[in-house]
Amino acid sequence: MSHESAEQELIRIPITVDVPYRFAAGNYMSRFLIELRDNGKFFGIRCPSCGRVQLPPRIVCAPCHVRNEEWVELGLEGTLTAFTVMYLPLTDPTTGEPHEPPFTYGSVRLDGADSNLDHIVHLGDEYDSAWVGMRVRVVLRPREERIGDLSDIIHFEPLKGQEKPGK
Amino acid sequence: MEEEKVYGPFEVDQRIRAHSTYYAGRIGSRFYTELRDRKRILGSRCEECGKVYWPPRQTCGRCFSLLGEDRLVEIGPLGTLETYTTVRYSEPVHPRKAPFVYGIVRLDGADTGTAHFIGEADPGELRIGMRLEPVFEEDRKGNILDIRHFRPVR
Amino acid sequence: MKRKVAIIGGGQTRHAARRHDVNQVELVNEAVRAALADAKMTIDEIDAVLLGNMEFFEGCHMTDCWLADGIGAYGKPGLKITTGGTVGATIVCAGAHHVASGLFDKVLCIGFEKQEEGDTGAILSGVAHPLFGRSMAGAAVGYFAMMGSSYMAAWGAKEEHSAMVAVKARQNARKNRYAHLKLDIGIQDVLNSRMLAYPIRMLDMCPASNGACAMILSDEKTARDRCARPVWIRAMDTAHNEQFEISWRDVLDRRPKFSTTCASRIYRKLGVADPAAYFDVFEVYEPATWAELQWYEDLGLCAPGQGFRLVEEGKTGIDGPMPVNPSGGVLSTNCIGASAMLRVWEAALQIRGDAGGHQVPKEVRRALTTGYGGTNWTVMTALSRDPED
Repeated sequence: MSHESAEQELIRIPITVDVPYRFAAGNYMSRFLIELRDNGKFFGIRCPSCGRVQLPPRIVCAPCHVRNEEWVELGLEGTLTAFTVMYLPLTDPTTGEPHEPPFTYGSVRLDGADSNLDHIVHLGDEYDSAWVGMRVRVVLRPREERIGDLSDIIHFEPLKGQEKPGK
Repeated sequence: MEEEKVYGPFEVDQRIRAHSTYYAGRIGSRFYTELRDRKRILGSRCEECGKVYWPPRQTCGRCFSLLGEDRLVEIGPLGTLETYTTVRYSEPVHPRKAPFVYGIVRLDGADTGTAHFIGEADPGELRIGMRLEPVFEEDRKGNILDIRHFRPVR
Repeated sequence: MKRKVAIIGGGQTRHAARRHDVNQVELVNEAVRAALADAKMTIDEIDAVLLGNMEFFEGCHMTDCWLADGIGAYGKPGLKITTGGTVGATIVCAGAHHVASGLFDKVLCIGFEKQEEGDTGAILSGVAHPLFGRSMAGAAVGYFAMMGSSYMAAWGAKEEHSAMVAVKARQNARKNRYAHLKLDIGIQDVLNSRMLAYPIRMLDMCPASNGACAMILSDEKTARDRCARPVWIRAMDTAHNEQFEISWRDVLDRRPKFSTTCASRIYRKLGVADPAAYFDVFEVYEPATWAELQWYEDLGLCAPGQGFRLVEEGKTGIDGPMPVNPSGGVLSTNCIGASAMLRVWEAALQIRGDAGGHQVPKEVRRALTTGYGGTNWTVMTALSRDPED
């Protein structure tokens, strides 16, 4: 019986699901993405109760349950709060293209914001030279290439003249 | 006082493309290999309930008996049209261009029917209760479309 | 709770990388039959069936529909629930509510994942916010890798500490005949393995497993009549984060988050002052080694920033004073839809004294389990040998 099972051909059927979506950004994200696309600016939203400037901008502050109304323009520089060096080719699901490893990927707190934005940190050959606390700057695509998406950011790059503490 | 800016509604087009795999299991594999290699259609017989299920399965839903490979029985090839519909609009996900006909076919010897295409017939001539026969593909791969469609027995 | 709830039986499959010999319903059916056999019950006696897995992971929606025959759901009331990785525990929680409410006496709870069938990376990217992160989706590895690098920078832990957790898990798994990854590895093996996303290496990462787990919950009368060693669900709690505002990988954030909120509520319900002393064994949901260290701190087993010391000192080993994941945990078996339920079932086995090779060598009266779902959702369950304890 088990001898027969070992010889049995086991059928597998490949199924590809390919579904298009069209997402409405909504009031708040629309403004964020349009400002990014048209003016190369980043806007967060401040909660009137806890005072935290949040990204992505959203209609309600999650911990406080109050409506956010105050838009805050953020800086184009920030601090790296966490990072990793990716040795796996991560595919951008929106384009199907992989990012070539190794590359550094991190969580940046833009000046003025209290929450983070994840993106690639461009360190070239020194991909493992990042540290928590590194100061970085946004590098945007030129206006004509921006579409209103986080990929309008090419990457973050480190500010010049810094040294890793405790080196 | 900040000028009141109007931001138009913003929509983003994306897609999700996922490649899954379905493993048929031992019983499912017997079903598909018999279809592909010998043009035979198998169902599962539950002795407790006295029913034959198509497609074959390992557990009887009604009495929970285990139906092993020894419970596989040949059914059909002829069957009866239990119900049908003509699809008259086209969606990208549809396997055929409209108009095409789906029907529930209950093969001789089985107690349940299963959906498949009804072809080589004018939709207007189809009748519930009609006798059908399977039309097999020449180049069979081991899936349900090894039967291209069912057609009325003429 | 209105009525007491007991676990009167359960079962799991032998979790494996490949199960080509069964389709989804047959895989789940193995666990269901094992649970019924363990409880000495027939499917006809079950009043309701609850099913959970990761939505669309197998490329198949509405698995409750497709699996109806094999899970004994035909004609019965039931629910399908999806809450990400914590779904196994959510199903147990929902099952307990069904029994505690008085509406049902015997409920079958099932969690499963036929992981090999799905394009996990593509489907998981669907979890990311479509407009704020999907194009940059770092996947689970990236998320926990960032947690790891933050943890090391904040507290001075080293990559060796992650390796210690990985070694503990896989060595425990060798004692668990159902576990997937049974690896006889040491710290150096982990440190020599391929780097995936700094600081997470191949041997630090959980596997993709095919598997299912089923449990039968019942009311007190059924438990006393039918079960020699019922395990009582003493308390449950669930808590959910908001993904962007409060990130689990922000190790220095002192604000209440899903893990600490849930733990403090469950401790308040039971009057727990010192969880390390109150509970005899812990089964936590650790998708990555760093997550386990964070669980130690969030559950209050040690002070913030001291999690890595616990594993360094062997305190959470199988024969330690606070054993964590004697089953091998998620690091050894990850059939996502079942993983959180396996934590509850493994804890129940410890209380019953039925864990076999991986039974902790001390008296087990009470256990605590956690779940973890992407976007940070947890369900915690406290189990006890005694319904009043």
